[in-house]
Amino acid sequence: MSETSPTSADRARDAILLNMGPQHPSTHGVLRFVLHTDGEIMHRAVPEVGYLHRGLEKLAEQQTWAAYMPFTDRINYMESMFCNQAWAMAVERLAGIEVPERAEFLRVIACELNRIANHHITLGCMSMDVGAFTPFTYLLRERETINDLMEALCGNRLTYNYMRIGGVAHDVDRAWIAALEKFLDHFEPICDELDSLISYNEILVKRFIEVGVICQADAVAWGLVGPNLRASGVSWDLRRDQPYSVYPRFDFDVPTAAGARGIEGDCFRRWLVRAEEMRQSCRILRQAIAALPEGEIRAKVPRKLKPPAGEVYACVEGARGELGVYAVSDGSDRPYRAKWRSSSFSALSIIEHISPGLMIADLVAVVASLDTIAPEMDR
Amino acid sequence: MGALRDYFAAIGRTIVTLGDGLAVTFSYLLRKPCTIQYPDRTPEPVVSMLPERSRGFLEADVEVCTGCKLCESACPIDCIHVEIAKDESGQRMIQRFEIDLSKCMFCGLCVEACPAGGLRHSHEFEGGMGDVRHLYVSFLDEPVPPAKKGKTVEPKPLGSIIRARLARPFDPYRGDRPASGARAPLSRGGEP
Ligand code: SF4
Ligand code: SF4
Repeated sequence: MSETSPTSADRARDAILLNMGPQHPSTHGVLRFVLHTDGEIMHRAVPEVGYLHRGLEKLAEQQTWAAYMPFTDRINYMESMFCNQAWAMAVERLAGIEVPERAEFLRVIACELNRIANHHITLGCMSMDVGAFTPFTYLLRERETINDLMEALCGNRLTYNYMRIGGVAHDVDRAWIAALEKFLDHFEPICDELDSLISYNEILVKRFIEVGVICQADAVAWGLVGPNLRASGVSWDLRRDQPYSVYPRFDFDVPTAAGARGIEGDCFRRWLVRAEEMRQSCRILRQAIAALPEGEIRAKVPRKLKPPAGEVYACVEGARGELGVYAVSDGSDRPYRAKWRSSSFSALSIIEHISPGLMIADLVAVVASLDTIAPEMDR
Repeated sequence: MGALRDYFAAIGRTIVTLGDGLAVTFSYLLRKPCTIQYPDRTPEPVVSMLPERSRGFLEADVEVCTGCKLCESACPIDCIHVEIAKDESGQRMIQRFEIDLSKCMFCGLCVEACPAGGLRHSHEFEGGMGDVRHLYVSFLDEPVPPAKKGKTVEPKPLGSIIRARLARPFDPYRGDRPASGARAPLSRGGEP
């Protein structure tokens, strides 16, 4: 049965099909929903994906292991660092490469900065989608500083291409660390400012509270990850529960916003989890700067890297949760197969399940709060 | 009664939290503005404000290039074209050194691969052109011999090479241009 044509049940209850998108400005990329509705309340919303398919998995098969790195930037432009890291980790595990400690620290620093930058956009878009424009501009201003830091670190503001197989591309100097500290000093109070500016604004709270509720069982069953899963009350974070890189050395909390206003798994909890995660990222950054060891930033990797035949799944806790890549090597200098597991795809798939009875206007809030991003779904 | 009390309590909270929010916005009236009025009211040209590692348009210095073609094979999307061939007197010459900047994704892998330092990222990023084909840049006017090992060349100021090249669009079709929309045929080893 085609999901995009009316069913007999639809006809029986006088439902019409309404297209939202594929260019709707509040659907975060080119994404289309087919709404089965007979008014403001939807019977069903069916997401249609594939508009941003660029064949990034197939492209991997034509690149050498190292040359695929810039393509991973484009899997999800909001969290390029995590894509970089997942790919680097996969190849390192396949080839048995040991990453120097300093490089691991630099990866953590870059990733946590990227997480903050991503949450800026997520929270900004969430507030903008429900009509509050000012927080978006304020958060963009903060993100601008991170972009500047990233540009000084790796040369680009969005598609970083910072990591390499066996380490990272560039080292940091004292001046950069000082700039990062300055940003943290500036940003930590901004987190509180954000709370009084918008997080506890009653209009926003009323708009998000008890909207798009995803219960714990559903969240697990549909494979939600990251902040979306945690907002449903499941305390699961790969950084803590399946440690990789040097994360076990840092002391940080995994926020679930339990006990806050609203109910488990509603849009407001998802907002709160992200707002708190930015603070935790700042904590990790402070610890990482303090403990940054001296040493090499890149392991010796042969120019023509040929990992032994085998397969591996490597995943990282991205800004949207588990971001994993499954890579297969046949022993040649090119991947045999690369398959990405993206959090946006599972987050989007649950929409059809929770949409019955949702208002059309709330769909926008739900999509924003699930933080789905179209290029990551379609790859 | 309860519902009514909740209703008015919500209105009360709205007024208080709105006040909190407006206090934050108001405080920005008294802080230093951080907007940069790009492009015409910046304290100095943006290009000179960019950090050292910033990856802008590529530029190749053919006086430094040894013709090893490593950059060409490092590029994941084949947008560098280097051609080495012997001329009539049997001398190895760099016949072509062209980069399709409209295709380049500024990843920097070619720069990392270059052992001689003949290729680098400039900080230039303003490359608006009337025709996208004008972003297809040649770094040669005529064939030049590849640099010998140990040859020292005075480094040119960052960005000067690409600025000069972009100001004088290169015609990949050498006059005989096909209908608009066609791209420069950038296949390895083939003549345009
Ligand atoms: S920067 Fe990347 S895409 Fe551009 S020419 Fe160099 S290797 Fe190719
Ligand atoms: S620019 Fe560098 S890598 Fe490319 S051919 Fe010249 S010397 Fe070799």
